Amino acid sequence: MWNYFLNREQLRKRALKNATSEIMRDFLAAQVPPDTARWDDVEIVALDFETTGLKPQIDQILSYGKVHIKDGVIKLSSARHELIRPDKPIPEASAIIHHITDDQAINGRPIAQVLPELLEYLSGKVMLVHYNKIEQGFLNAACEKHYGSPFMIPTIDTLVLARRILTHRNHTLPTNRLRLFNLQADFKLPRYKAHNALNDAISTAELFLALEALITPKDSTLLKDLIL
Amino acid sequence: MEMEIELLEIRDFIAQNHPFDLLSKELLNNLTQNLEIRYIRRGECFPPKGATAPFMYIIRTGAIELRDSENKLVNKIAEGDIYTSSCQLLKFNESSCHMALEDCLIYQFPCSYLKTLFEQSAEFKHQFEDDLRQRLQRAAKYSNAEVDVGVASMTVEVGELIKKIPVTLEVSASIQQAAQIMSEFNVSSIMLTENEKLSGILTDRDLRRRCVAKALDVSLPVSQIMSSNIISMRSDDLVLHALMMMTKTNINHLPIIDDGKIIGMLTATDLTRHNSSNPVFITSQIRKSHSVDELIKYTEKLPELQLLLANSNISARHVGETISCITDVLTIRLIELAQEEIGTEPVPFVWVAGGSQARHEQSSHSDQDNALILSDDVTQEQMPYFHELAKRVCDGLDACGFMYCPGDAMATNKKWCQPYEVWAEYFTGWINKPEPMALMLSSIFFDLRAVHGDFSLHKKLHKKILGMTANNSLFIAHMVSNALKHRPPVGFFRTFVLIHDGKHDNTFDIKHSGIVPITDVARVLALAEGINKVNTTERLIALSNTKSLSSDMVDNLKDALEFIANLRIRHQAKQIRENKPADNFMPPDSLSSLERKHLKDSFAIIKDIQDTLERRYKMP
Repeated sequence: MWNYFLNREQLRKRALKNATSEIMRDFLAAQVPPDTARWDDVEIVALDFETTGLKPQIDQILSYGKVHIKDGVIKLSSARHELIRPDKPIPEASAIIHHITDDQAINGRPIAQVLPELLEYLSGKVMLVHYNKIEQGFLNAACEKHYGSPFMIPTIDTLVLARRILTHRNHTLPTNRLRLFNLQADFKLPRYKAHNALNDAISTAELFLALEALITPKDSTLLKDLIL
Repeated sequence: MEMEIELLEIRDFIAQNHPFDLLSKELLNNLTQNLEIRYIRRGECFPPKGATAPFMYIIRTGAIELRDSENKLVNKIAEGDIYTSSCQLLKFNESSCHMALEDCLIYQFPCSYLKTLFEQSAEFKHQFEDDLRQRLQRAAKYSNAEVDVGVASMTVEVGELIKKIPVTLEVSASIQQAAQIMSEFNVSSIMLTENEKLSGILTDRDLRRRCVAKALDVSLPVSQIMSSNIISMRSDDLVLHALMMMTKTNINHLPIIDDGKIIGMLTATDLTRHNSSNPVFITSQIRKSHSVDELIKYTEKLPELQLLLANSNISARHVGETISCITDVLTIRLIELAQEEIGTEPVPFVWVAGGSQARHEQSSHSDQDNALILSDDVTQEQMPYFHELAKRVCDGLDACGFMYCPGDAMATNKKWCQPYEVWAEYFTGWINKPEPMALMLSSIFFDLRAVHGDFSLHKKLHKKILGMTANNSLFIAHMVSNALKHRPPVGFFRTFVLIHDGKHDNTFDIKHSGIVPITDVARVLALAEGINKVNTTERLIALSNTKSLSSDMVDNLKDALEFIANLRIRHQAKQIRENKPADNFMPPDSLSSLERKHLKDSFAIIKDIQDTLERRYKMP
């Protein structure tokens, strides 16, 4: 309850103090870019998960995709995609969406092996997602489960950013319009096959660049104008 | 490292655009993995300021306007276009800040990476490093070898001859129903199907021999009399093979089936008709014809012939020659037929062709341009004979598909049916006082070729004309300024043709913005140099190493003409195939990225020579 009165930095420090796992201590101790940094001076990691459902406590991550933005440019050389082996069968309802079957998922590594690498990718950087509840929620649940610590990172959410920027111009915006797919169309961005974690990560990165370009005044957008 | 499969979509986008289509899959994968994606907002500068190293750019979405250092619009680039200036591949005096016309998503990679690609693909490297000329030469790789058209006509695919939709009927139908459908569609055979698969065919002959002759009940199922032992071919089989098959098996109907799908029925009649559109056959039939109606029957095959020639990969130049030769034969036959009725000429004359026929550059839908040069001995009383002759020939040409000249540049026009002296006066006037009217007629009457009659009349006139035009800089200056009215476009932008002042056109007039400018240049310079050739390519060759044109420029113009004319022939072939009238208007979106690129190169060559002429013959 008291958490509400602490700022992000204080929360991170407290988590670091309580962290028992070395991996988590390294992650939480990493120097986080200051809010006052120019956005194109920091490294941003666009991340997307495909999951078995929407509840981080019950559901599991099936794949991740990520691509980095550095110097204001998406670097495809940093693109990664990996399947993650769940420890329960994949529910049919979710398989319909992400097209990942149990047979495929079996080739993936378990989350316990993937998580340290994910944390290393994100360490000291800014996370970029579309709809923060999924990625933040699942990473947090995984970190709590495996390391007993919360997951914390400065985050940009293109859904929130889009709502803020577009609402400002168009008055109200129905939630459906804020889906990645629809925003891509609005900005005439390329359409990749949706519900693939890497495609969605690249799409999110492209959408972010398009949204950032709308922020005025130009050339002086700071991290604090973008993060949650 | 393996490329993530998700990047395939981006790789495929890159690969669509020439010259990236020349790269191997491995190089493309590697390139894709090294791409960077950038976003530029409308109104912002391109290339983006503060780029760390020089980059090469590929536009994924959006559009950018390119201007030169004097702020003149040079080009617009959009989806799929490549910008290489930062890598200094092209020397172009450009503005340091081009403007994004729309929000742009751009792929970029460092110029240094381009060098790596060059090292690994020579073909790719050529596309960047070759000059315009070499690129066009590669493009105009049409087999200019002598092609036996008789054989060429046999190397067309069967599918080209199938024009009618297939007439089919369920195999369970009755004999009578089959006969009714065949009558209704006026076909000599019908294909019988079961679950949309061909199970038999029924021909007129089957009906006669297996039903009527045996007084079979017509309400019986058609399967009782159909042939179910079917020989079929694919639509991509050669006509030659179809002909051999029919001859060998003594059948007249050949179903064409692609992977189980019924495409149509090829009949022996189709083949005969097809074979008859061979130029040798058409020419000999024209020579044997005894009436205009008969001539019409054979000249009707000309569009088909043009299609055949185009399909046989014969160069546009040879297609133009073939059609013009047939028009010559037709003209001669029409004159002979007229003379059988109105008698021989009272004084010598020569029938001359003008315009594209004279230049040997005709297509099957060209207008007719012609004139009569008469002996100076002609009397007023003898004139009606020539008027009648002209009327019969021009009417005949029109009936055979070479429509009356809209500008009335025909022998039927009394002005263009005159004795030598009058023609000599005409030309003296046009050359000494180049008025707009004369310049308008120049594309017709400064390209004259004798077709029939006393050739010396034309020869004398042609010699006189060249004597007056050679080194006549005032006349040439007027001709040049007239020739410069047809300017090539700058390039293409999405579905538009980009014209000089930054305006757009929806269609590309391949004749007036591609071919006419080259024809005009060749004419003007041939007149200036006193060259007696009429065909554009021959004029260009003769101009090589004169003071008018360097051999390099000649080669460039020849290649550009060849490329554009071939493109036009293929465009028209497509229209003929689709049963549409052939025209010169190409929608820009029908052009491939490669064709656009080569056209742009051709335009640059034309612009270059036009600019040179403009400077050289500045109007006083």
